[in-house]
Amino acid sequence: MDKKMTRRKFLGKLVAGILGGTIALFTAPIAFYLLPKKEKKKLNIFVDPKGNPIPESSIKEGDYELGLSDEGPVIIVRREGVLYAFSAVCTHLGCIVKWIPSRNEFLCPCHAGRFDANGAVISGPPPAPLKRYKIEITSEGFIILS
Amino acid sequence: MNKILKAIDERLKLSELYEKYLSGYMVPGNLNFWYCLGSVLIVIFSIQIITGILLLMYYIPSVDKAFESVMYITNKVPFGWLIRRVHAVGANLFVLVLFFHMFSVLIMGSYKKPREIHWITGCLLFALVLVECLSGYLLPWSQLSYWATTVATNFPGAFPFIGDFLVYVIRGGEKVTQLTLGRFFSIHVSLIPFTIFILIAIHIFVIRRTGISFPPGTDETKVKKIPFFPHFVLEDLKVIYIFLAIMFLIVFFYPQFVLPRDALIPADPLSTPEHIKPEWYFLANYQFLKLIPNEFLGIFLQLIIAVIIFLLPFIDRTPERRIWKRPVFFGIVIFGIIFYVLLTIWGYIS
Ligand code: HEM
Ligand code: FES
Repeated sequence: MDKKMTRRKFLGKLVAGILGGTIALFTAPIAFYLLPKKEKKKLNIFVDPKGNPIPESSIKEGDYELGLSDEGPVIIVRREGVLYAFSAVCTHLGCIVKWIPSRNEFLCPCHAGRFDANGAVISGPPPAPLKRYKIEITSEGFIILS
Repeated sequence: MNKILKAIDERLKLSELYEKYLSGYMVPGNLNFWYCLGSVLIVIFSIQIITGILLLMYYIPSVDKAFESVMYITNKVPFGWLIRRVHAVGANLFVLVLFFHMFSVLIMGSYKKPREIHWITGCLLFALVLVECLSGYLLPWSQLSYWATTVATNFPGAFPFIGDFLVYVIRGGEKVTQLTLGRFFSIHVSLIPFTIFILIAIHIFVIRRTGISFPPGTDETKVKKIPFFPHFVLEDLKVIYIFLAIMFLIVFFYPQFVLPRDALIPADPLSTPEHIKPEWYFLANYQFLKLIPNEFLGIFLQLIIAVIIFLLPFIDRTPERRIWKRPVFFGIVIFGIIFYVLLTIWGYIS
């Protein structure tokens, strides 16, 4: 009787072990499946929502253009001839900021966060300034962000 | 026909089960309105499953096609508008009735020994239903979906150290994109409904094992008992039809409650609509976060409140169930509810 019980216990443990091992074996691939790979960075070109590059010349003095980069929405403003590029994603909760030319500042429509022309927070809930990008112009006149 | 039924019964003894678990299952005769809400929830869950399966036949989970396919369901498929509205209104009603159900369990103290597991499974169900609502909200890929999800999935980012990683995993990337739609779609139509189904089964299993509670303050030896079927089921049906009436009232006359204007504009990642707000059942949490200056502190406080609610049966261990004998507890509950409702209203008008 005793012997039979230990055999039973042993077999029980064996089943638990096999099942446990199998689950452990499958957990790793599932975890990696759920984590998307970060893509290798290519040239980060400023494009419109359809993926067509936006030429530098289309942004007029005092005007702004909203487009996309590999990292998400970007807003580019031209002031006194110079282009300034910022991430258009509000650092508070991720709404898209607008450029208000009359006040020379960015405004977030969600909770009224305000940023000055250099991206620094003026008022409202955003905890950090807008991310600033460096700009390079290709020979075709396209804008590369970095 | 009768012959076939008889033959089946002879083999499977189904009438035995019927007598044991339905007509022979006796419940207290003085169960009130609040005891019927569980059945209402089962009905709503069934409605969500049926309408969900129907919507799935036309819905396309791709950022280019999702909005179009939903418009196709609404405008072209016969009664598509009905199915879609019922699913959307049903989700809201689900949350509302869950609030009522939890409220009654709180007030009647029915989470107390021996019904702790009822409460725990219930809380898990509540959380899962909220996740289900949140994930379903993104699927139409409208302006409302897109921006509500962008804001909602940003909050975990406030956690120190792992915040960015959490947001990344939830969205499947840095931003809300096709990758996000894919995972939300998958959990919305399979993982969560399936888990909810299992949890409801456990919830009901434990309720049958302990028996339904007597309304507090009644003498259990004196109360007359009635059969669950058909007597109590008839009581259930009364309340179920009241809620169905409310549901169809909204479906036919006030669909804009659940499908406002921004739900009719396709998602545009480059333009945030004015005044985006979460659904009404998240407004209090949202307003709370806006009031607490430190975002992580705001989330942390809410998590603590959630854990306290979850563990309530182990914190409040006195056997007394009558609410008028528990003034401190009653005070806290009423204060909590008033606070919650005020935050919701504040979040709505601000
Ligand atoms: C999908 C959601 C849910 C469904 C379908 C459901 C269903 C039911 C049903 C059919 C009953 C028995 C009759 C009644 O008292 O209404 C019940 C009882 C109960 N439910 Fe739920 N429920 C859900 C969520 C919850 C939640 C969120 C809680 C609380 C956190 C909860 C806690 C309880 C408790 C403690 C009882 C026992 C009541 C008693 O014996 O008097 N349930 N539920
Ligand atoms: S998201 Fe911009 S201020 Fe809140």
